[in-house]
Amino acid sequence: MTAAIIAADVRARRRSAVSVAEEALAAVAAGNPRLNAFTHVDPARALATAAAVDATIAQGDDPGPLAGVPFAVKNLFDLEGIATLAGSKIERDAPPATRDAYLVRRMLAAGAVPIGALNMDEYAYGFTTENAHEGPAHNPHDLARMAGGSSGGSAAAVAGGLVPLTLGSDTNGSIRVPSAMCGIFGLKPTYGRLARTGSYLFAASFDHLGPFARTLEDLALAYDALQGHDPEDPAQSRTPFQPVTGLSGIAGLRIGVATGHFAANAHPEALAAVQTFAAGLGATIPVDLPLAPAGRAAAFLITMIEGGNLHLPDLKTRPDDFDPATRDRFLAGTLLPGTWVQQAQRVRAAWRAQALAAFAHVDCFLTPTLPCVAPLIGQETMVVDGQTLPTRPMLGVFTQPISCIGLPAMAVPLARPGGLPLSVQLVAAPWREDILFRVADALVQAGLAAAPEVPA
Amino acid sequence: MPDPFDPQAYAIQAAALIGLPLAPAHLPGVAANVALAARMAAMVFAVPLTPADEAAPVYTPAPPPAA
Repeated sequence: MTAAIIAADVRARRRSAVSVAEEALAAVAAGNPRLNAFTHVDPARALATAAAVDATIAQGDDPGPLAGVPFAVKNLFDLEGIATLAGSKIERDAPPATRDAYLVRRMLAAGAVPIGALNMDEYAYGFTTENAHEGPAHNPHDLARMAGGSSGGSAAAVAGGLVPLTLGSDTNGSIRVPSAMCGIFGLKPTYGRLARTGSYLFAASFDHLGPFARTLEDLALAYDALQGHDPEDPAQSRTPFQPVTGLSGIAGLRIGVATGHFAANAHPEALAAVQTFAAGLGATIPVDLPLAPAGRAAAFLITMIEGGNLHLPDLKTRPDDFDPATRDRFLAGTLLPGTWVQQAQRVRAAWRAQALAAFAHVDCFLTPTLPCVAPLIGQETMVVDGQTLPTRPMLGVFTQPISCIGLPAMAVPLARPGGLPLSVQLVAAPWREDILFRVADALVQAGLAAAPEVPA
Repeated sequence: MPDPFDPQAYAIQAAALIGLPLAPAHLPGVAANVALAARMAAMVFAVPLTPADEAAPVYTPAPPPAA
């Protein structure tokens, strides 16, 4: 059941929001033991919120475009009344949040119904959601495989049909990577587009928030609901409301395919997915971005240093309470020379200049989202171009250069009967999320893009 | 980068500088990550920059008055 259908049914009184919430809670109870997507489920809050939606409708008022739609959030978003874990054991000691995160408030204002909080890599530092404290999230397409990360619970919950919409964060790929592994749509908007107030930061230079959905229409509904200005977020840019719901048509758009870094470093099937979409769109313009690998390296260093500094007090006093998968990276991040981060920030600006220049020639370009299909949980290495490489850092090879400079990007699943999900990353110029939605819609209309069915 | 660079010795000294206790059990992982970061640093230092290349972050003293 999509968010769009649920909202239409609830607004037309064909179904009650309470019955939808009860169904979602039952789906979570039945499906979560396999997926380990949820770390917290709050039936009381879900049913009370849904009852309020029904009461609004009974009064003849409109609860909003997401009326009665169940949603859940990565557990780094504040939910009033519970501690914000950010995937950690350490934050279990934190006091309960006293207010919902800004984007949670936006979802509630649109009539959506919160079901709970979702599994993630500790402090968002990872691409796998192999969380030592909560256990790994499992890919609904093959439970032995990773859901991806760091927003692994967000992707698994949507792909597995537990809820139609979730929210997550993306610092180096943490929305796009799990969306790709689980075969759903995920949007990382432009840096500064959506307010981050009330979410647990990781590397503030790159932290983005965004939605996940099984259909493009639902992704648009969620993104439109999330747009809004919050003066409490110092990194948000003041932009007008630019709705994307219902956008279609790519006439006049120049669509390119990224070369170099983005046409190597991957398994053939990941590159073939890009060619399938490019052929369907008639996209032939090559986009050469030679600074992309340096941009990726810059993001790697800045992330490590910002993350290490953020957690330095706990690293000094209780390092053994960290997940072993993140601990040594955070520790190392506290030790790196200052001149490295300054050089990385200057390279970041140079990389941005090169990418912005490319948008003089194209409006959107395609890359693989991931170099491979979802690896097996616990898989330490992968072979690419004959080289054996560590799995974890390789998973961000195509997403990390893009978030480094804050370009809006969408993970779009290849419609594919059978087989594991494959995904293409659409990238546009800053503030042009509308173009991503137009291009993705063309792919959906052509039958090339869709969330593959999860095997029963 | 001086050659040979010893990431483990570096980690021990840098940790002492910032008052970070490093457990011996964590040292190999920390050193491996310092070495990985050094490879990334080599990539960013391979980009030719001039004094005109400013860093990306821009400080704002306060939101400017609305037009």
